[in-house]
Amino acid sequence: MQKATIRNNRVWFFAERTLIYALIAILLFVTIAPLVWVFSTSFKRNEESISFPPKFLPENVTFDNYKFVLTDPGLVHSLINSFVVSIGSTILSVTVSALGGYAFARFEFKAKNLIMSVILGLFMIPVVINIIPLYTMLSAAGLLNSSLALILTFQILIIPLNILLLKNYFETIPKDLEESALIDGCSRLGVLRRITMPLSMPGFAIAAVLAFRFSWNEFILPIVLANRPDSMVFQVALYQFISIYRIEWGYLTAGITLAIIPVLVLMLVFQKQMIRGLTLGAIRE
Amino acid sequence: MSNILAKAEPYLFLTPAFAILLVFLIFPLFWNIYISFHDVSFITILKNWEYSGWKNFVDLFSDPNFYTSLKITVLFVAGSVALQFGIGMLMAVLLSQKVRAAGTLRAIFIIPWTISAVIAAFSFKFIFDYNFGILNYILQQIGLQPVGWLIDPNIVIWSLVIANMWYGTPFTMLFITAGLLSINPSIYEAAVIDGATKFRSFLHVTLPLLKPFIVINLILITMWSVNFFDLQLVMTGGGPLFASTTASLYMYRQAFEFGLLSKGAAAGLILIIINISVAFVYLKLLRR
Repeated sequence: MQKATIRNNRVWFFAERTLIYALIAILLFVTIAPLVWVFSTSFKRNEESISFPPKFLPENVTFDNYKFVLTDPGLVHSLINSFVVSIGSTILSVTVSALGGYAFARFEFKAKNLIMSVILGLFMIPVVINIIPLYTMLSAAGLLNSSLALILTFQILIIPLNILLLKNYFETIPKDLEESALIDGCSRLGVLRRITMPLSMPGFAIAAVLAFRFSWNEFILPIVLANRPDSMVFQVALYQFISIYRIEWGYLTAGITLAIIPVLVLMLVFQKQMIRGLTLGAIRE
Repeated sequence: MSNILAKAEPYLFLTPAFAILLVFLIFPLFWNIYISFHDVSFITILKNWEYSGWKNFVDLFSDPNFYTSLKITVLFVAGSVALQFGIGMLMAVLLSQKVRAAGTLRAIFIIPWTISAVIAAFSFKFIFDYNFGILNYILQQIGLQPVGWLIDPNIVIWSLVIANMWYGTPFTMLFITAGLLSINPSIYEAAVIDGATKFRSFLHVTLPLLKPFIVINLILITMWSVNFFDLQLVMTGGGPLFASTTASLYMYRQAFEFGLLSKGAAAGLILIIINISVAFVYLKLLRR
């Protein structure tokens, strides 16, 4: 009787494990198949990429698609724009958020809770609703089609999140170090720069990677605010690209792969910390 | 003097961040209302904007395409939320079952969420292509007719839901995983000692504890699906005709495709109301 139950349990256990792994395998396939397919196509010649029946692996691996994308002056220019805008936006947001996060972590002031809840509330505002007013505002200011317009507007995607992230990080650093420096006559700003910041580098790294990810991937704000050939970023250029080279999937898949690389590399490097940061960051979308 | 300065100091630290948020996030919300009551189009944008009363809203509500867009939004949001939540929950629960290499698997499952929506859209446009897409190829291999994934007005919205499922599910997985990790394992042990089966302990112990996470997750993915139109814009442009134009894309198309900025702003205002209602309904559910 006892033995039968144990055997029964064991059968159940194996059945359950098999089911779990089978489901995971299916989900894994669905997750990566589209990207593998795109990646594989980017190494095919254009005739091959639209050949029917499709070939799962390129017959003759070619780098021509990448060569095309990386030598097209418009696309290269847009890649440079993407880097300029993303790096500028990252630096601005991390600086501004560090100041804000520091105020929450180290000062006691009247409106602290109120301002904190306003910032949490700002998380919930969907940014797309602002595209029309932002368009008219930046048009009136003569800032349409400039990198500055993108760098400034991207901040609304990033700042609330990064203030929270950096505030939490600053709070893990003991106050004593700062206090002795303050007594020595160092200003608050000096303390933040010379003591708190060097100790919070991991926190700054997460904030910077998240800021870069949001800036690099953003599409709606750039397509509305900077869609001229000289000011467009890579995501917008790829979108325009499809109307010019309608079925040149080889070129397009190469462009897609290139667009994925910078963020994917950053994510892999900072994988563990990112998962935490992303959970918070997700709220922004 | 130094006392006043000391009191003002935290506010000075907050000023740059708040100035940016005020100008580019909070002020535009009100500016949007102003625009929706004036006549602003690509033609009049640099001239004086004339007050137009409720005209933009009358235009909006007499446009059959607007009603279509609301209907399509309901389908898109319901489909996206159901699939993203269902599968995201499944992923999170599966990975919490003492699976080998759970960390690596989690990192892989997150990949779709780290790439841009444009990239996701292009990838699926490629896969759903009527003539050259791999999906139609597979269908034909097993003896079925090819499907007009992105060109059939009755099917297109469901193709977009599938793309959105792929793109958005990792977030739910992350969020629910965070929730599962926050539950103290000793609670399960207690339930198992009391003789509860795994399934029953999940139903009666885990789910109730997860409820706040589930509700917030649902609010976020619902609002996200309402406002999100990157996929539609890239994959179909809202077409064929208006068959995949959700309300947020309708707003965009009115403003930037047809140049009717104030009609778009009026649609934006309706969108804000939809967002607030969604948050309100779910929060009511959470309280209960």
